[in-house]
Amino acid sequence: MRLLNYIAANIAGTLLRLLPFPCKTGLIKIGNPDGNSPVFLTGNYRLTVERVKRALRGIDAYLLVANSRGINVWCSATGGRFTNHDVISILKTSGIEELVAHRNVILPQLAATGVEAEIIQKKTAWKVSWGPVYAKDIPLFIENKLKKTPAMREVVFPWRQRTEMAIAWAFTTSLILALIMLPLWREAIFPLVFIVWGLSFLIFISFPLYSHWLSSEGKRIGFVFFDFGQGGFQLILWGILILGLVAYGILIGGFTWGFIFRWGFVLTVVVLILSLDLMGSTPVYKSGLHEDRLLRVVLDAEKCKGAGFCEQVCPRNCYQVDRNRRMATMPRAERCVQCGACIVQCPFDALCFESPKGEILPPQAIRKFKLNLMGKRLVKAEKK
Amino acid sequence: MSTYILMKLLESAPSRYDKGIRILTLGRLDRAYERLISYIANGQKVLDIGCGTGALTIRAARKGARVKGIDVNSQMLEMAHKRAREAKLAQNIELCEMGVAELGSEESESYDAVMSGLCFSELTENELHYTLKEAKRILKPEGLLLIADEVRPNSLIKRILNRLMRIPLVVITYLLTQTTTHAVKDLPQKIKESGLLIESVRLNKMESFIELVAKKPEEGTR
Repeated sequence: MRLLNYIAANIAGTLLRLLPFPCKTGLIKIGNPDGNSPVFLTGNYRLTVERVKRALRGIDAYLLVANSRGINVWCSATGGRFTNHDVISILKTSGIEELVAHRNVILPQLAATGVEAEIIQKKTAWKVSWGPVYAKDIPLFIENKLKKTPAMREVVFPWRQRTEMAIAWAFTTSLILALIMLPLWREAIFPLVFIVWGLSFLIFISFPLYSHWLSSEGKRIGFVFFDFGQGGFQLILWGILILGLVAYGILIGGFTWGFIFRWGFVLTVVVLILSLDLMGSTPVYKSGLHEDRLLRVVLDAEKCKGAGFCEQVCPRNCYQVDRNRRMATMPRAERCVQCGACIVQCPFDALCFESPKGEILPPQAIRKFKLNLMGKRLVKAEKK
Repeated sequence: MSTYILMKLLESAPSRYDKGIRILTLGRLDRAYERLISYIANGQKVLDIGCGTGALTIRAARKGARVKGIDVNSQMLEMAHKRAREAKLAQNIELCEMGVAELGSEESESYDAVMSGLCFSELTENELHYTLKEAKRILKPEGLLLIADEVRPNSLIKRILNRLMRIPLVVITYLLTQTTTHAVKDLPQKIKESGLLIESVRLNKMESFIELVAKKPEEGTR
């Protein structure tokens, strides 16, 4: 039954990955926890909760499911849908305070873009530690006495995740296109759905082959489609498809300009939709929609005390703390995805964003103003 | 061009909140708030839970009450601040960024009234339960709890009709403001369970919107 539940959540969650998928908030007991058992907390995205429950099998623990509006932890925290208040609320209203003697709660690391450990401790006396990025690492994290290895801190985009994204985009796109085509051109639906799924898998599975050339620089917000050299990739893909189309027409013998024209148009639409915000569909690049993609994290060496909160929450392992100089360094700054977690968590306000024009977005602004659906903060940068 | 307009709309959610909610509640909200505010008297101390942009807070302050408004959304609170200043009522209004889970810091029996407009529908079950318990604690004996909110109709047919009617409204509102509400289940029952006495309940024809007044019993009567 539990396995069925898990499978059902995975299938539905993958097909409808682009939509929120809420589940019940509250306290879940895993195994037979007692007053000293660890307390984990996550958002109420159904797929996440199922995966955390599965990762915690065989461990006696409490799992708090906080209200993240049915959105996954990273997106909800960065978008202001999973905040300090939601964490305070679940700690205070779920009854966990009566069940455990300690006051240590483990949050998913990706929540660090929106949940402030300092505020939680001040308001509730609960001490927040940042758990691994992926639920599957939880058992090892516990074995390591709640210490994370660098690998546990980093987001990756392996073939399993790429398959999930391919299915998510293919399902949504083919469903919408099929509905549009239903009254217009019914015979084309089946081949179209086939093409959409094929292309989607091609784009996502072959990601490591071309990801090297991806860049968010120089791209305009109006051109969210063009993640590669201003549309070069789309053009190549589209060209190959058109050639295939012509070859198909000649081989089958049904070559007409009408056929090429109609399918050429349909393929253009499909290519554009499938590559819509491709970078935003991966955890290793910032979305092309987000204005934040052009920002740079700046470290104020005078304020930095080398406490290493930035190192603990950075999902791209950009930081390294120099223990001798007691200072953070950014040897891998180019990998930054501008999530802002380091800026939000730094207790000394030693980090901030700087725009290409040299304007400063201070930590207070990053903590208060979250990204909206369009990846925009409702705050203007300050002149330096 | 149309995408551009849509993007512009999406950029400024909190400032459009009031408008969005008005669409969602089909304009009945203002009338409901006026009726609830008639229970507030000059000089009373009032708490507004989930004050948002200050719709209830400012109305209560206008009647001469000292109002504390709490909300979890700092951007909404900023709008409320601005409106309070514009209405020249800032001296009677205190606004705090805090959630219902922090009500424990309020003194017992310190409020004449606790009110809440369209906030209970955003709370989880645990939060709702906790809020009612805390509201009862911080109310003075005979103090009032005033609620205007969306509720789930009791009859199945009305529930289905309500769902269908709401779909287009929900889509429009979500696009404009990225806000939506979820109807509260069995609100009067939950209020009774919390130990408050229901004074009056007013439902619309669809049974989807409630205006409820409950009273904290005098000591010894319960």
